Amino acid sequence: MSRYAFLVGGGFVVILLACAEMAVRGGFVSPYMAPAPSQVALTLASMFSEGRVLAPLGQTLGLLLAGFTLACVLGIALGLAMGADERVYNLFDPLVEIIRPIPKPALIPPLMLFLGFGAEMKIVIITMAAFFPILINTIGGVKTIDPVVLQTARTFRVGPARTIFQVILPSATPMILAGARVALGLALVVAILGDMLASNGGLGFEIVDMQRAFMLPEMYAWVVVVSLLGLLQAFLFHRLESWLTFWARNNA
Amino acid sequence: MNAQNITPRGQAVAQHTLISIEAVSKGYGTGNANLAVGSVDLQVGRGEFLSIVGPSGCGKSTLLKIIAGLVPQSSGTILIDGRPVQGPPAKLVYLFQQYAKSLFPWLTVEQNVAFGLDPTVARSKAERHARCMDLLGKVGLAASAQLYPYQLSGGMQQRVAIARALAADPKVLLLDEPFSSVDALTRLELHDLVLSLWESTDLTVVLVTHDVEEAIYLSDRVAVLGPRPSTVTHSYHTDLPRPRDPVATPAMERYQLLRIELLERLLSGRRPKP
Repeated sequence: MSRYAFLVGGGFVVILLACAEMAVRGGFVSPYMAPAPSQVALTLASMFSEGRVLAPLGQTLGLLLAGFTLACVLGIALGLAMGADERVYNLFDPLVEIIRPIPKPALIPPLMLFLGFGAEMKIVIITMAAFFPILINTIGGVKTIDPVVLQTARTFRVGPARTIFQVILPSATPMILAGARVALGLALVVAILGDMLASNGGLGFEIVDMQRAFMLPEMYAWVVVVSLLGLLQAFLFHRLESWLTFWARNNA
Repeated sequence: MNAQNITPRGQAVAQHTLISIEAVSKGYGTGNANLAVGSVDLQVGRGEFLSIVGPSGCGKSTLLKIIAGLVPQSSGTILIDGRPVQGPPAKLVYLFQQYAKSLFPWLTVEQNVAFGLDPTVARSKAERHARCMDLLGKVGLAASAQLYPYQLSGGMQQRVAIARALAADPKVLLLDEPFSSVDALTRLELHDLVLSLWESTDLTVVLVTHDVEEAIYLSDRVAVLGPRPSTVTHSYHTDLPRPRDPVATPAMERYQLLRIELLERLLSGRRPKP
């Protein structure tokens, strides 16, 4: 994005916030329902300075990272196997197609029966949510590798391990990362929802808890924290993607 | 032209067959009904530079892939050094026309060349580096070792692919129209590079091309493949002196005669009879 375009888009956001501020102060919107943005900002600042943000943020972020990492490892491993070997594909494909369309939040209540309300349940549901986009894109990434690439590995008589890790995996990386980007967004959604339903801490719980206590500036402040987390996560992932696949964009 | 004019390498050819293609065919569909390669019989001598020319779609690339063990034939046998080809043979490298796809874009030039090294031969890191730099020097790319393929021109990329092929220390190099997607001047440079590499080793080269002049200029012998289902219809010893010269060689009468003869053969299927 050019600097000029960024100024236009950023300016638009500032104008909208100013409108919201005026709408509340002018009495058009009830300050009990929607406190002024400035009040939310002040509340957020004091929450940070009192050190109330770090513990719930750390809790949710830890589970998010654990679940997402697990989903990456499992999704890429099974995706490579299914993409490279027709028999493995035929074995797992029906199962994948049955479980994949289930909205993962629907599985939180049954999972609670087996795993309780703790970290295990949340990690499992985050893993399940993030697993499928990674799996599907890994399979696609492997299956769409140009035959020339695979034949190159064959003419140099490279063994299966080197073919997988030095040829197939790097070739599929751009598509795997595209799947992982979608997965990361889904993981955050399910992480917040898990917090809300389990009611034992984390960012999602704070939002629900503040709403029930009718501490609305705090509730909005927590929503802002979650938004910032999503923004930061997308930014970091974009950096990771550029670093890993610098060659793919230049290759067009 | 008589046998005295054949180069010493050419004479060695007649004595030892390295690759023997016997009644090889390739068909597609049920019962291989759609035959692409008819029944090809062809011998390639040790150290020979053989070109296979044919109209597009005649299955010459398929034949080369069968020799490379990358595609299974429908019938017939390929023997290399007396052993039947079942899967990619050792000491044989196939150089793809699509060098841009064949090079790994996530590896530097040096890492791409190192991919071709036999890990059991070049064990230490220093050894591998030295071998890669030596090969890159031979193709004139030592200064580009740390660049990525996308930073190189097409001709340079194909030279990296050649260096990587040589890294495997092959006895046989199969070239699948490797010069067809670079500009004319770069093509001439690549011709002389390949010839100098071939002349300084005991490499056997089989080149597939639709460019008659390229085939004559480079080869000891040119085999003509007919239209589908293709068979070897003609075979010519070029009998041109080596080293070849990009200006002097094409000016020779023998070169011109071969060129006319080969073009007649390739066009005979297409031109209306007078």
